Amino acid sequence: MSDLDRAIEQLRGCRLIPESQVRELCYKARELLIEEGNVVSVDAPVTICGDIHGQFHDLMELFRVGGDVPDTNYLFMGDFVDRGFYSLESFLLLLCLKVRYPDRITLIRGNHESRQITTVYGFYDECIRKYGSANVWRYCCEVFDYLALGAIVLGASSVLEPTSNTALSSMPADSELETEVLNSRGEVTMSTYRPRQRSSSNASTDSRNISPPRDISAAPGQAAAPSRSGAPGTGASGDGNGSATTSRTGAVLCVHGGLSPLIDSVDKIRLIDRKQEVPHEGAMCDLLWSDPDEIEGWGLSPRGAGFLFGGDIVKQFNHLNGLSLVARAHQLVMEGYKEMFDGGIVTVWSAPNYCYRCGNVAAILELGEDASGGGTVARSNGEYGRSNGIVTDNRVISPGRRYRVFEAAAQDTRGMPAKKPVADYFL
Amino acid sequence: MALEVQPPDGRKRVKVYELKDNDWFDRGTGFCTGQILGEEPRIFVESEDLPNRVLLETRITKDDGYQKQQETLIVWTEQNGTDMALSFQEAEGCAVIWDFVNAVQQHLLSLTSADDALSDDLDSYQSIILPGPELGNLPEIEQIVRAASMTQNGRDALSKYIIRDEYIAKLVPLVTMAEDLESLIDLHRLCNIMKSLILLNDNTIIETVVADHIILGVVGALEYDPEFPTHKANHRQYLADKSRYKEVVPIKDPLIRRKIRSTWRLQYLKDVVLARILDDPTFSVLNSLIFFNQMEIVNHIQSNGPFLRDLFHVFDPRNPDQRRKDDAVQFLHQCAGIAKNLQAPSRAQLFANFISHGLFAVIAFAVKHLNPAMRTTGIDILSALLDHDPVMMRGYMLKAVNEKKTPLTDTLIDLLHVETDLGVKNQLADAIKVLLDPQIPMQDPLGRAGPDYFKVRNNNLLSDAFVQQHFDESSKRLFQPLKQLANRTALNDLTFQEVTLYSHLVDILTFFVRQHLFRTRNSIQSESLAPRVAQLLRAPQKHLKLVALKFFRTLISLQDTFYQALMTHNNTFELILDIVYETMPRDNLLNSACLELFEFIKRENIKPFILHVVEKYREKLENIIYVDTFQNLILRYEQMQGYGAEADATLFSQDESIAPRRIPLNGQRWQGAREMDPAEEDYFNTSDDEDEIKWTQDRVATADEPSSGSASAVVKPLVDYPDDDDEDIMDTKPEGAEQQPVASPTEAFTEVPALSPTQTPPAPPERLAEKRRREEEDDDELSKLTAGPKRRSSTGGNSGAFNMNRKKNMSAGSLADKNASPGVLNKVTSAAPKRIAINIGSTAKPPVSETDTPRTEVTSESYEKENRDDSQGNEGG
Repeated sequence: MSDLDRAIEQLRGCRLIPESQVRELCYKARELLIEEGNVVSVDAPVTICGDIHGQFHDLMELFRVGGDVPDTNYLFMGDFVDRGFYSLESFLLLLCLKVRYPDRITLIRGNHESRQITTVYGFYDECIRKYGSANVWRYCCEVFDYLALGAIVLGASSVLEPTSNTALSSMPADSELETEVLNSRGEVTMSTYRPRQRSSSNASTDSRNISPPRDISAAPGQAAAPSRSGAPGTGASGDGNGSATTSRTGAVLCVHGGLSPLIDSVDKIRLIDRKQEVPHEGAMCDLLWSDPDEIEGWGLSPRGAGFLFGGDIVKQFNHLNGLSLVARAHQLVMEGYKEMFDGGIVTVWSAPNYCYRCGNVAAILELGEDASGGGTVARSNGEYGRSNGIVTDNRVISPGRRYRVFEAAAQDTRGMPAKKPVADYFL
Repeated sequence: MALEVQPPDGRKRVKVYELKDNDWFDRGTGFCTGQILGEEPRIFVESEDLPNRVLLETRITKDDGYQKQQETLIVWTEQNGTDMALSFQEAEGCAVIWDFVNAVQQHLLSLTSADDALSDDLDSYQSIILPGPELGNLPEIEQIVRAASMTQNGRDALSKYIIRDEYIAKLVPLVTMAEDLESLIDLHRLCNIMKSLILLNDNTIIETVVADHIILGVVGALEYDPEFPTHKANHRQYLADKSRYKEVVPIKDPLIRRKIRSTWRLQYLKDVVLARILDDPTFSVLNSLIFFNQMEIVNHIQSNGPFLRDLFHVFDPRNPDQRRKDDAVQFLHQCAGIAKNLQAPSRAQLFANFISHGLFAVIAFAVKHLNPAMRTTGIDILSALLDHDPVMMRGYMLKAVNEKKTPLTDTLIDLLHVETDLGVKNQLADAIKVLLDPQIPMQDPLGRAGPDYFKVRNNNLLSDAFVQQHFDESSKRLFQPLKQLANRTALNDLTFQEVTLYSHLVDILTFFVRQHLFRTRNSIQSESLAPRVAQLLRAPQKHLKLVALKFFRTLISLQDTFYQALMTHNNTFELILDIVYETMPRDNLLNSACLELFEFIKRENIKPFILHVVEKYREKLENIIYVDTFQNLILRYEQMQGYGAEADATLFSQDESIAPRRIPLNGQRWQGAREMDPAEEDYFNTSDDEDEIKWTQDRVATADEPSSGSASAVVKPLVDYPDDDDEDIMDTKPEGAEQQPVASPTEAFTEVPALSPTQTPPAPPERLAEKRRREEEDDDELSKLTAGPKRRSSTGGNSGAFNMNRKKNMSAGSLADKNASPGVLNKVTSAAPKRIAINIGSTAKPPVSETDTPRTEVTSESYEKENRDDSQGNEGG
């Protein structure tokens, strides 16, 4: 067992690793992250997660619900630290996993991954409290500067293979499963359908509640990673839907906050020198701070950084960049996820019972792999000459989306959350 | 009706505090009297120094929520909403004034209740009586307590009863009783009761809870949290452990000893026992109690001469007790930590006191300690001093130089060169940065004006030449290892330590250049540092390359001819282009950083660089085709030469097509942005022969063409001056917003290629300049972070006393209450100073303000939610 594996084991038990090991880890992570673009390309299948905020036990619950690393690919959209009492354990575990399985887990930067914000919202204090000096905080902040600003998910399947056979019987004719919501036991609580082979823009979504939840036979193991292709009982029916369609699933852009008026194409993000503290304004700031809102165009953000942006902006941005969806985090949503603007953008929030008292549930978003073999869609990220409107064909359809909703970790598994008291005192 | 209250005799020495911007502002020290003028009862405070100056005059009304806190503090809210506090020197003086206030209020109250027989308050005050504290009564007690907590009247009545009846002390024995009986259900009930009582958010109750004979019983009950039925905490074990309290030099005053103990307990309650369940008001009460305790403790320590003598005597070289020295360093470290939360004047006084007793020697002792943890601690103390007043620190340092003593900087520099612990090295680099920075802006001079303020300031009145000389000498010493790079041909064998050292040194150099480009010129020139940094662009370590790249990127942004010449007179750009070649077309951080650098040159149209790069490396540029940055650079160049503009323009995307419109103005804009100084002129006349004629023509045109003058007046200067702290941020302006004012006057005399109407993203709602202005006006999250005095953790207590007075408006725990607080906070914080430049990289943590955005316009529910939690989580964290 390597040192790294040992560190992972230790951190999974919510026990910290020594300062020297943190330093090593941070240097290794730096070497790795420096090679990543400002927008990382990630292939489906992948599970997209929102804010964690130091809620270590809930992060463990997330892994329980979504499958463990490296069995499941993960993309975390920032805000690992602050607020919760276990920012260090949470961030260091994620960083260890990143170093150990670089291709299996992607971490991008949130607005809390910043020196200024962490000095106010708890991470700095936690480092001082747990390590006695600010050294570990410094190492972590250095890593923050190297984190990518966004990710783009390619090759996601437009068709969701229903989790259970029973759900199939209720599927409207000539339609395909677009979204599915599961609870933490793997039971389907809601599904939406769209007409087969239509572009998402004119899809009439048929939303219906399937309740009470079906008693499905999925064993816990299967429930943990049902997005794998070939999950029991899903292959036969999903097959025809997937390959028949000629339209393509657009790429999914993942950022912590949202869009920026300074960024009209994904390529522009590439021109940012990201190794710096999160600035107070400018493109980099906006990506980490903006929020979608029911407005037209751009608006002032009440946060004092970033902007508000409306559905028209999202639609245009997605269109220009061949995207079908923007996934972002940054805002608490009581239901764990919230789609806006005809599914053009989704907020994913992964910190249940935020701050140990908000009473919200959390969610993660699973995007399946496109099994039809159509390959990845042409995208504008990174390649030359594709900065504007490469997707001529309007039929970019959104990927099938499976949300797994979960609640805060059971009290018994996490002990009493509390901060570590100071060891000795003079005053 | 006449007042039948006797005003108290005598004058009580007192400090007057006012809550400003969420911070207790010291209005001065004076003598307090209670008076009845005419029919009006008043509190008067007359200044101690200027007997005729009235520090405070306030009328006592029955509604003011006066509160007595601890022995020596009275807190209330003025009619106009201002929160005030009187901190008495003597507990006795406090009691006298308190009695007077009470008597007046009782009297006024009796007058009104005579008028208004329906007073709810009085009714409910008598209505709560808890059953006797027995195990059998616990269900009923729990139920009554819970019910009473629901309403404000109930809470008030319950608090009064609990205090009057000393009920908590009576509950305490039940804990061990229930434990003996192993009655978990009773213990859970006791836990709930204790929680509810603490969350009544009453000062007196919380002070009772941490009293010696009560605390263990209370936390004992809290060990059995029904929410975690299978867990039992061990708070008692922790709090009962006397060995946790360490003494280097015994503190003899029993009152202070008690305060130290109760502060520690309050902190434990706040951070551990109640961490999960604390609501804002209770959190504030705890913080406030901690804050005032700490203030008294620190005041006691610094006014205790014998204590300080003994303390610093520990460091006497003849003293063999190493362990004790270490403890003393820790002690000072803790003092410095607490001092951060104090107000600037008290902090200044404390530090001045420490320094006069020999704090610098202690720091020198600690930073040379064999144990890295002790070195860290030592530099932490130093950082606290630097945070507090860098100007003062530099004053001390220069004084040492002047007196031919070894200045602290030399010690630190030597340590930086040899330090192996990377954390300590980091801290050292940050400290050196601040200490050597000769241009520290005078921030908030009044706030720091401690008694020794002017004395220390005077030390700074050393000649500028002297400062420059010291800077040059220190730089020489500091950058010596960098200079020695000249002897190395290959960089493949750099050790880990060397890599770290170089990256720190280049980082410091970058900082110096940005902060004060003129002073730094000397050392960069005489030590020829720029070629050394350029050497590092070839280092195999990518992060080292990045640091070097950042240095040159900073030089570019300065738009200073001296530094421009540094870059164009050697092969720096070749090396940077090499990095592009090495990394392309991969998408990685290093590659993006290079692209950003060239994009910046292109966007800002920095002529000398465009000319230099294209003329010297044209072929290299032409071969980079995976992005259009370099083609555009060539295009810019050709446009400067006066051809190619129209023909090529349509080939380029929308934002590039604006560029040609700017061309004829370019020279003018550039000149318009700032005056050419003779050196600059020299530079251009010598370095760019072919360009000279063109250049001169442009200038003539500027002089002749009135419209261009107005154009440059509209334009935001292209040149980013070094004092702009955002300059190294990628500065992409939305083309539409920025360039239109430039373009329009141009059209008068230029052929404008038609814009291809490609999809233009909707312009942002305002120009960036407007956004910037707005940020200065609004209370926003970010600007608040950078503004105002630094406060964290226990200083939330500043708002504490304030919230406490508001407790009538709040009931415990429920999230709905948080709706109320943003507005309240808004009021308090709206006057906070905005956007003070901060230095993120240094040990100095950015000054932060405790409150989060009080958002004024809340647009969606989820916003509101997060917003609320922002302000609450903030206080909770």
